[in-house]
Amino acid sequence: MPADKSDDIRIGVFICHCGSNIAGYLDMEALGTYAETLPNVAFVQRNLYTCSEGGINEIKKAIGQQNLNRVVVASCTPRTHEPLFRSSCGEAGLNPYLFEMVNIRDQCSWVHMQEKEEGTNKAKDLIRMGVAKAALLEPQKPIMSPVFPRALVIGGGISGMTAALALANRGYEVVIVEREGRLGGMLLDLNRLGPSMTDALQLAESTVKAVSCHPKITVFTGSRVTGVEGFIGKYSADIETPTGGKKIDLGVVIIATGARVFVPAGLYGYDAERVITQLEFEPRLKQGIDPSIKSVVMIQCVGARNEERPYCSRICCQTAVKNALLIKEKDPDTKVTILYRDMQMYGVENEEMFRESKAKGIRYVNYNPDRPPQVQAGSVLVYNALLGKDMELPAHMVVLSTPLLSREDSDEVGKLIRVPVDANGFFLEGHVKLKPLDFATDGVFLCGSARFPANIREAIAQGLGAASRASIPLSKGSVVVEPIISVLADMDACRGCGLCVALCPYGALEIQKTDKGRKVKVIDVACKGCGVCAATCYQHALTINSFTDNQIDAQIEAFLG
Amino acid sequence: MRIMCTGRLDPAITARAFKKGLDGLLIIGCYFGDCHYISGNYQAKAKLDVARRLYEYVGMNPERLAFRQCSSGEASVFVKIVTEFTEKIKELGPLGAGGDRLESPLLIKKLETAEAVLAGEKIRWVIGKRAPFLKTGNMYGEVFTEHEFRRAADMIIVEETEVQEILAGLRDGARSVKDLAASFSMPVEKVFRHILALKRKGFVVPERIVGRSPLYTLAPKEV
Repeated sequence: MPADKSDDIRIGVFICHCGSNIAGYLDMEALGTYAETLPNVAFVQRNLYTCSEGGINEIKKAIGQQNLNRVVVASCTPRTHEPLFRSSCGEAGLNPYLFEMVNIRDQCSWVHMQEKEEGTNKAKDLIRMGVAKAALLEPQKPIMSPVFPRALVIGGGISGMTAALALANRGYEVVIVEREGRLGGMLLDLNRLGPSMTDALQLAESTVKAVSCHPKITVFTGSRVTGVEGFIGKYSADIETPTGGKKIDLGVVIIATGARVFVPAGLYGYDAERVITQLEFEPRLKQGIDPSIKSVVMIQCVGARNEERPYCSRICCQTAVKNALLIKEKDPDTKVTILYRDMQMYGVENEEMFRESKAKGIRYVNYNPDRPPQVQAGSVLVYNALLGKDMELPAHMVVLSTPLLSREDSDEVGKLIRVPVDANGFFLEGHVKLKPLDFATDGVFLCGSARFPANIREAIAQGLGAASRASIPLSKGSVVVEPIISVLADMDACRGCGLCVALCPYGALEIQKTDKGRKVKVIDVACKGCGVCAATCYQHALTINSFTDNQIDAQIEAFLG
Repeated sequence: MRIMCTGRLDPAITARAFKKGLDGLLIIGCYFGDCHYISGNYQAKAKLDVARRLYEYVGMNPERLAFRQCSSGEASVFVKIVTEFTEKIKELGPLGAGGDRLESPLLIKKLETAEAVLAGEKIRWVIGKRAPFLKTGNMYGEVFTEHEFRRAADMIIVEETEVQEILAGLRDGARSVKDLAASFSMPVEKVFRHILALKRKGFVVPERIVGRSPLYTLAPKEV
């Protein structure tokens, strides 16, 4: 059994060729010979693919045979391969945190394809730095914590309700907090939903009924979440309800706060009467449009894709086409023209709807944002670049397609739960591809238009997805947290001043009274290991596992040679 | 070198790196608002801004320490940042060899003082409280402007550097206020004020009296 920690440090260095990705551009033999000369290195091996089954077995074999107590792999990016190598070390009986990864591919061999000598020298520097850090690594233990089997869903729109139902049907208790007086959100304002033309009210009513009757779901309408404390598995939320304040324990949080529509005050003669938004148009379509209206002009991208709001709200094009089709359904003789910059009609069904709209005689005219259309009494003037002149389109009514905006209080909600929002105020997921419904903060998930404008179908899909993600910690009953976190390494040095507590972005530090006076305490499961506290503590009492001052200094020293 | 978040970067680490002979240090983090650790990059910026002011004050070219931002998807921005920084450092040359206000042996000594300042209590409170000072104000409710904050930080940089130099000056044995003032070309009153403050906080103690001047020495460390 290899020792986890001993005075005799024996580092194994595995240098990966990555086929020809690394070996094609660096002098691998020189790297191998060089690694052997480094302090504490007991074993060096080069592999064609260290991540292959053969490569992994070589690491495991060497840990046993060579009695290695540290492993360095010089290969690709830790983003994709660190977990694999760590667990391989663990399988061979070595503490997984006695492993260090050096990336000699992404920012080395791939960059220096034409500079073999310089690239090789840089790889030598990187390996030397990795070896220096590895010598100082300490074994770590993963952290376990129980999960309270209840979810909080903030927002009772279609996305939040769907997520709540999905979780409740799996047997978990759910609490929904809705700001408005009733459930349903923006869905209540809609008429029919494209492309299937489903009745919005029917969907809203059936979902609200299912939610309200569900024995596992508690709904607080006209309520707000005013405080969230804790961390994954052990949150506690303060809720302000019309009947007074409530405090509830929970394990996970889903943010489904939705979005709001941009009101184009001062744009294109908007008057909420003859010139209205698509959202205002929906109830009119439902009641039936005034039969005297024989021509409708829709203008796309109103207040969107400009300097103030550079993003495309992506659902307005399909909404416009859907509503244009509904006009034609009522009265095929009504003239409908859509003035657009680019049509965003993604997906098979939307594309089909777009084709159908053209077949039914809906006209599309491209406009240039530098020469925007002008709304006049009874008509709209638009410059047509193909004709090279202005066209005057009769318009008994003008419908403006405006983007969805983030909620005014999204920043506030984000701060409450310690999750980020982007430049436009929409919530920012943990990773655009790998964690689209999770936040970087464990135990908090998101769905619907709170992230980015979504149509009803997408909001439902995301609600189901967020519920699925949230049910992982709920069903496991406990969470395991990476131990690369803050630790109070020097209890005596800590004065309990609280500067670190004030700066911690995750609320993972607290001051507690001990028999040695006020001391800081790290809440292991809440800490994400950013290191702000360690970089701030003037008593140098706090540090970060696997990123200690010593280890960072050692890497810099090794670099300087 | 990889760190989890730029917020991890202890400014004292940067001083140690330069002291050991690093010519340039480039810290690249996420854009504001895109921080995976919520606010780590704001913290890093606040720390490095103060560190740069301090380096300028002690005689090192502050351009040697840079904080830049790019996202992981912006390869071309990353290349531009790294290339520009490399060019800049090439232009400045090795540390303390013409590209800085002070020349090498003296500069390294000053960087030792800078390290002590950056590792110290006062400057870290100022950096840590930057955001609340600018937004909600200090404990007396006084909200600072960016300009006022910078001026206050600059004042503390100057004071702390003087204090750390005095402490370093006392490391080799007891000295009088006059003697210290002469060796750092500081006004006697100023040194006296620092010494009194250090005495009050228990960092220095009078050791013996020679002629009419007391000689001060570092207080023995508590065990």
